[in-house]
Amino acid sequence: MSDQAVSEVDTPPPAAEPPREARRGPARLVRKAAWLALLVVLLALPLYLDAAWLKAGQYMMIGAVGAIGLTLVVGQAGQLSLAHAFFLLAGGTAYTVLSGPTGDERVAGFGLDPGLSLLGAVVVAALLGLAFAPVAGRLRGIYLGVASLALVFLGLYFGQSAEELTGGTSTGRTPASFSLFGFPFTNDGPEISLLGVPIRQAERMWYLFLLLTVLAFVIARGAVRGRVGRSWRAVRDNEAAAAVMGVSVLRAKAGAFAVSSAYGGLAGAMTVLWFDILKPDESEFGTYGINVSIAYLAMVIIGGLGSVPGALVGALIVNGLPQVLALYSADLGWFSGTGDGALTPILVSSFVYGAAIVLVVLFEPGGLAAIGRRLTRLRRQPPEES
Amino acid sequence: MNTFLQLVVNGLGKGAVFALLALGFVIIFKATEVVNFAHGSLVLFGGYLVVVTKDALGWAGASLAGIVSAGLLGLLVERLLLSRSRHADANSLALLTIGVDVIITEEIVRRLGVTLPFLGDAWDAKPFRLGGITLFRTHLVALGVAAVLITAFWLAFKYSNWGVAMRAQAENREAAALMGIRSSRVTATAWVVAGLLAGVAVLFIATQDFSGAGLSRGTHSIALAAFPAAILGGLDSTAGAVVGGLVVGLVEALSAQYVSFDFSKSAVFLVMLVVLVVRPSGLFGTRERTRV
Amino acid sequence: MKRTHLAAALVAVLVLSACSTKAGDSGSSGSDSSGVKTGKGVTATEVTLGVMTDKSGVFKNLGLGVTQGNELWAKDFNAAGGVCGRQVKLEEVDHGYKADTAKTLYPQIEPKVLGFVQLLGSPVVAALKQNLASDKTTAAPASWSSELLDNPYVMIVGTTYDLEIIDGLSYLQEQGLVKDGDTIGHIYIDGEYGKNGLRGSQFYAKKHSLTLKEVKITSTDSDLTNVVTGLKGAGVKAIVLTTTPTQTGSTVGANKALGLNVPVLGNNPTFDPALLKSPAAGALDKLTIVASSVPFSADLPKAKDVAAKYKAAYKETPNGGVPYGYAVGEVWGAVLKKACDNKDLTREGIAAALKQTTSASTDNLVAALDFSKPGTPATRQVYAATPDASAEGGVKYVKPLFEAPEAKEYVAPHQK
Repeated sequence: MSDQAVSEVDTPPPAAEPPREARRGPARLVRKAAWLALLVVLLALPLYLDAAWLKAGQYMMIGAVGAIGLTLVVGQAGQLSLAHAFFLLAGGTAYTVLSGPTGDERVAGFGLDPGLSLLGAVVVAALLGLAFAPVAGRLRGIYLGVASLALVFLGLYFGQSAEELTGGTSTGRTPASFSLFGFPFTNDGPEISLLGVPIRQAERMWYLFLLLTVLAFVIARGAVRGRVGRSWRAVRDNEAAAAVMGVSVLRAKAGAFAVSSAYGGLAGAMTVLWFDILKPDESEFGTYGINVSIAYLAMVIIGGLGSVPGALVGALIVNGLPQVLALYSADLGWFSGTGDGALTPILVSSFVYGAAIVLVVLFEPGGLAAIGRRLTRLRRQPPEES
Repeated sequence: MNTFLQLVVNGLGKGAVFALLALGFVIIFKATEVVNFAHGSLVLFGGYLVVVTKDALGWAGASLAGIVSAGLLGLLVERLLLSRSRHADANSLALLTIGVDVIITEEIVRRLGVTLPFLGDAWDAKPFRLGGITLFRTHLVALGVAAVLITAFWLAFKYSNWGVAMRAQAENREAAALMGIRSSRVTATAWVVAGLLAGVAVLFIATQDFSGAGLSRGTHSIALAAFPAAILGGLDSTAGAVVGGLVVGLVEALSAQYVSFDFSKSAVFLVMLVVLVVRPSGLFGTRERTRV
Repeated sequence: MKRTHLAAALVAVLVLSACSTKAGDSGSSGSDSSGVKTGKGVTATEVTLGVMTDKSGVFKNLGLGVTQGNELWAKDFNAAGGVCGRQVKLEEVDHGYKADTAKTLYPQIEPKVLGFVQLLGSPVVAALKQNLASDKTTAAPASWSSELLDNPYVMIVGTTYDLEIIDGLSYLQEQGLVKDGDTIGHIYIDGEYGKNGLRGSQFYAKKHSLTLKEVKITSTDSDLTNVVTGLKGAGVKAIVLTTTPTQTGSTVGANKALGLNVPVLGNNPTFDPALLKSPAAGALDKLTIVASSVPFSADLPKAKDVAAKYKAAYKETPNGGVPYGYAVGEVWGAVLKKACDNKDLTREGIAAALKQTTSASTDNLVAALDFSKPGTPATRQVYAATPDASAEGGVKYVKPLFEAPEAKEYVAPHQK
């Protein structure tokens, strides 16, 4: 983050683009092959996993999309944002309103095609992010972080009061189920099977979310490696120097916020599709509350600020652990203590990611991404080419 | 008119406690430039120690135990975690405190279970009426205690060795080190003091008068109010912390009645936002100037 | 270069093909030897009912009580012979009051159960609303909001929140504590629970020309002193609450401290015996509670029976969830028996049997229930009680089951 007067502690080089020499030669191929193998596995998983596990996996993908966006604004551009939950709510509401039925007396809807509505949700969230950018421009560091918290509270209030849009906190409203060019992502529509496995709602949603996550990943990677990423990093490291070099600081910050909120909006639309309901929270802790903003921040810290692959792993841990533990414990009877003081999957996961944050900052502020880089550097010694 | 006066009384009373919380917050920031997201867990920890020692030591002894242990926790966090993170900058350390906060809060909430212990035995739920206004004893004692502690702190800050050392370090860390000021000692003391203040604050927060609830996750959320209070006063200004706390208390009380209750939470943050847009470093904070 | 890509992909495919896909998972329907149709959750010897409860989150006390009530019922039901020659088994999962955990756990438990005897938590019920409808699973949510009644698979055992408030206000008026034309206040949590109660007070206020001061709060607000200050300024003669017990404590405490001292009315979820040990205990004399399911210590033969069985089986401090959980079980028992008579123990069969249940008796643990009119609450009766430290369970009766005339006229949101 920006503005250090004098720093006598040596900060390790924060996440930049992957070093040049790693982008050519055999190392690059190995990495590409690894990503490809991962993709194949992910494509095949619905053939093996039950609906409950697919559901858990989809939830991790929502986290991944949101975390990628947050790591761009916090890690690459150096703007601390605790407002991510607000953009989730905005995206979810926008998707539901845009795709909602036009004739309903209780809630508003525009009747648009779900695919278009998804795009619309992303755009709406981005615009909201852009609207907040001037405030972000005036504030530094932690002041910005706490100011962004204000958005979450505003979101809470908006969710409760704008009932024609959000459906209100007592019943919420149901979002239109997703369909692409007429192909529904529910149990209706044409019966498809792959290798004898019927591809129904859970499997279809898996593929949809996977597609969105891959898109999010590729776009973010491109931004980080391109001009945009360089301008962000320049602003993060030294605003004055960046201005001198001709980077429009305000534009860079605004852009970072817009992009990150766009990602947040997408994650929000995915959230309402996952829950099959849009229901604003009753308090500041809930599906769109402070706890969620902190969870996304945790994903980003654990993964390594600014690292896009790191954000994926962070999401797996923070969003995935409680789900996986809950499923296992239901199966195996772990953590089945009741009454006061019981250890439960949620509690255990909270401890794990709290501890992960502490350990990361203590020993490797670059997060898992830095650990990953360190490992690959170790493996490449002695160097095979100069 | 009566309603308005009552609201002001309610607001100032709560504001005094917010001021105590914000002050602890600011002390840490001044000494280390670290924003302590774990302040809420210091509050919870102090309260929890009161709960477990109450039977053995009685309320007065337990309260003392709570205050001291909150201070010790602050020391522990600083010595074991923050000072060990040699190569992390202030912002990363702030993020570390988030992790610490999650762990400590979850563990204490787990241990509390469904009990909601109230901690203000000496002054809780003993209101008295003056004219048409009800004065809550908790608020009055809090105002008194806060006034004493803030004055004591301010005097120490201005005249004691520690205060001078801390101001020097906040101004220019390297020069202060060159002058022989042990930065680690200043930092550690700052965290201890912040912990002590948190331990005092919880005795007023976990009461029927102040929060209507005993020690619980809600106590942690109330400590969250320290953020807008400290921020709008200016993170490096102790006077700002006090003003900020009182402002937050008043805004909360008045907006609850004159706008709507559910808006009052957002109102506090909104006021903070407005102040920040006008003065980006808070009301009394030092402006950062960048010369190109 | 391309070779490495191909190699990696091939390896992945080989590994995956070594494991078997989930193709070939079959359903579990059919009929048994006596011609009773069966489906998911029913085997030749067992009928499995699901319990999705909170064992570790904010409502774990209530969750535990209700679950234990369910278990006590299942034991008694099986001892009496079960249904269609089968014993009832309960499959319990803990979602910790988190909607996302519940959403993920649901697909895991759903294939194993015929229906749900407990679904605790309004965010959980909201998240699973679509699933219940598409899987045709009948469920008894531990939530009494009449807004849920648009789902034909929902079985609400008891009076809904709106009707509880109407009955309660009628009781206050009958006692002379409220008169036509008075101003009253209603503090409500903005959510399924609080808003539904508000609907009731709005209806009653209109009928009796009362000025209603509505104050919306969130579920985590705990200090309501400023709210009560405002209500005092507005000159209210009574305060209605659809809030949490902590918030109730704060309200009655402020009611006394500020010198307002008006009657306070709350429904079932507003009270918890722990309040009797809090600093607000001295102000609880002004509180009246209305509820449709009896307190643990009720002086009724069945309640006493359940209480005795509870004490023999469990050590925790009991709460009102226990008789409620037992009552829900009894309703399920009646529905199961009817479905058995209809020779249809499938999900559809249960739904049909529910519609035919015009009078499910729970031996007065809850008022008699009529599920035959979808969209309409199954009962409109409540008990009135006041807090009492000497009673087990913390409350004592002041008026047995009654239904107010205004309650008969009230039209619930999904009533046809």
